[in-house]
Amino acid sequence: MRAFLLMVCGGVTLAAGAFAADPEAGRVLAGQCRTCHGLDGIARIPVAPNIAGEPEAWLAAQLTAFRDGAREHEMMTVVSRSLTDPAIADLAVFYSTRQTVAALPPGVSPEGAPALCVGCHGADGIAVIEDVPNLAGENTIYIETQIKAYRTGQRVNEVMQAIASDISDADLRAAATWYGNVTLTRVP
Amino acid sequence: MRLMTTLLAAGAFCVGTGAYAQQDLDTLSSMKALGTAAFTFVEQGGAKADAIKKTLAGIKLPAGFKIDLYAIVPDARHIAVGPQGIVTFVGTRKTEVWAVTDRDKDRVADEVKNFAPSLAKSIPNGPCFSKDGFLYIAEQNRVLVYPAAEFFYESPDVVAVPVVKQGELVPVEEESFNHTARVCDVGPDGKLYVSLGQPFNVAPREKLDLYRQVGIGGIIRMNTDGSGREVYTYGVRNSVGQDFHPVTGELWWTDNQVDGMGDDIPPGEINRQTAAGQQFGHPWYGGGSVRTVEYKDDTPPEDIVMPVVETTAHAADLGMMFYSGNMFPAKYKNGIFSAQHGSWNRTTPVGANLMFTSVAEDGTATTEVFAEGWIDGNGEYLGRPVDVAQLRDGSIIVSDDLVGALYRISYAGN
Repeated sequence: MRAFLLMVCGGVTLAAGAFAADPEAGRVLAGQCRTCHGLDGIARIPVAPNIAGEPEAWLAAQLTAFRDGAREHEMMTVVSRSLTDPAIADLAVFYSTRQTVAALPPGVSPEGAPALCVGCHGADGIAVIEDVPNLAGENTIYIETQIKAYRTGQRVNEVMQAIASDISDADLRAAATWYGNVTLTRVP
Repeated sequence: MRLMTTLLAAGAFCVGTGAYAQQDLDTLSSMKALGTAAFTFVEQGGAKADAIKKTLAGIKLPAGFKIDLYAIVPDARHIAVGPQGIVTFVGTRKTEVWAVTDRDKDRVADEVKNFAPSLAKSIPNGPCFSKDGFLYIAEQNRVLVYPAAEFFYESPDVVAVPVVKQGELVPVEEESFNHTARVCDVGPDGKLYVSLGQPFNVAPREKLDLYRQVGIGGIIRMNTDGSGREVYTYGVRNSVGQDFHPVTGELWWTDNQVDGMGDDIPPGEINRQTAAGQQFGHPWYGGGSVRTVEYKDDTPPEDIVMPVVETTAHAADLGMMFYSGNMFPAKYKNGIFSAQHGSWNRTTPVGANLMFTSVAEDGTATTEVFAEGWIDGNGEYLGRPVDVAQLRDGSIIVSDDLVGALYRISYAGN
């Protein structure tokens, strides 16, 4: 029976991607993530983003980019160096399946969400299209730092670089504060 | 009256254009109220306080000492105790500085609210006071001074004047988030010392000239009006704790060392600086005498100063202070209390301790664990100490940015 379930699960994942990703193996690997990102994917330190419930493909793409040097970060470059493709797939499926719920602060209307961002990242910071990250509950400075990295070319993405080069610092802070004020909670 | 004159003089040298939130800063510098912001108050007590107290009951200390919850302070990082003892300011790696007040002096804070909420801040990690009550806050890329902050913090609009204008602490294209928790201190020479961590694991070659010139991967000092800036310390990886020896006036500081070389190397560092311009070895050394892989074939500069104490690898020595109080036993006088934040990717976590370093007359030093118990049996953090500061009664407070709290350690004897 167990073997049958594994085959079914493996088959589905294989259809979607390259590896038979194993969330339980991901949970073990996540031991090296938890001091910063939490075992539940809710960030424990300001420089780290929440990764619970992020799209699986997004997580895998970022880990691969860190490992291969396409994206650089003082800590992530070090920890991703030893990750194999299957390990990345396991981690991505583990954290993407940590379910979350996002809530705007009481009394705040979604209509006030930053117009530049909602088309992809949603009013509550949960992505509404594929291949973009959730922003819900990320630290204001984290979001600001990423946009500035797009502005200076340290991070590369056609859409984000265009937005980053146009947005004023005050509007950037306002948008980052909006998403920073969203409460992201793990659903057990 | 003297205070007012000082304030007006301070307000007068505010200039600056184009910087982020510069209009707000200009308004506040000229002592006009913005009238736009309300305080955020942090709830004290409740279930969170009970959980913290439970953790503190498991902390081991030398005989006669005890640790208590002092305040719930979200994201609590570096601490500046007001010279009047009225209020304690606590920085964060986010957007707030918290003002902590123990109004009834029962040694437990009864009010925690955000400081100067009308002024947007970026990584305001490092507050420090001058003896005459000027509060400096080192942010990601500016330093502001808040004159007489202990009196004016009760208003949401506080006078603030740039010491280093937005974008001038480091070049804007060198801004980062990691290794950007700056600390500051006003030295016995009356100058302001600010640490500038370099943002990489090992500083890359192509950045070394620029970093040397700006003082990134170093400690800079300047007059308290921002003039006369110079690089005081070279060869630092990421220092997040410093203090001046109360007798010799020498600057001592901690440094966080290179990752990815293994669980047990390189060691962390406590350094003693005896002269301006000394070189402490990064990027040629990854910590202590361990050479970095990236620079292993290079000849390091001559006269590199080695650390006074090599500490546990990856334990992350952060905030430190020399103890000058009278509450603790004599052995602690003029010794160093320092916080170990704990490792972030070591196979088995280490650190999350409060350390004590006794300093001999010849400047040599030995370090021991003072308080421990913030890592549980599953290797999970119950707290991560960041900084240590002394209250006027000689007790010390410790910040914890995982829990979001300040603890107070006092001595009652045996």
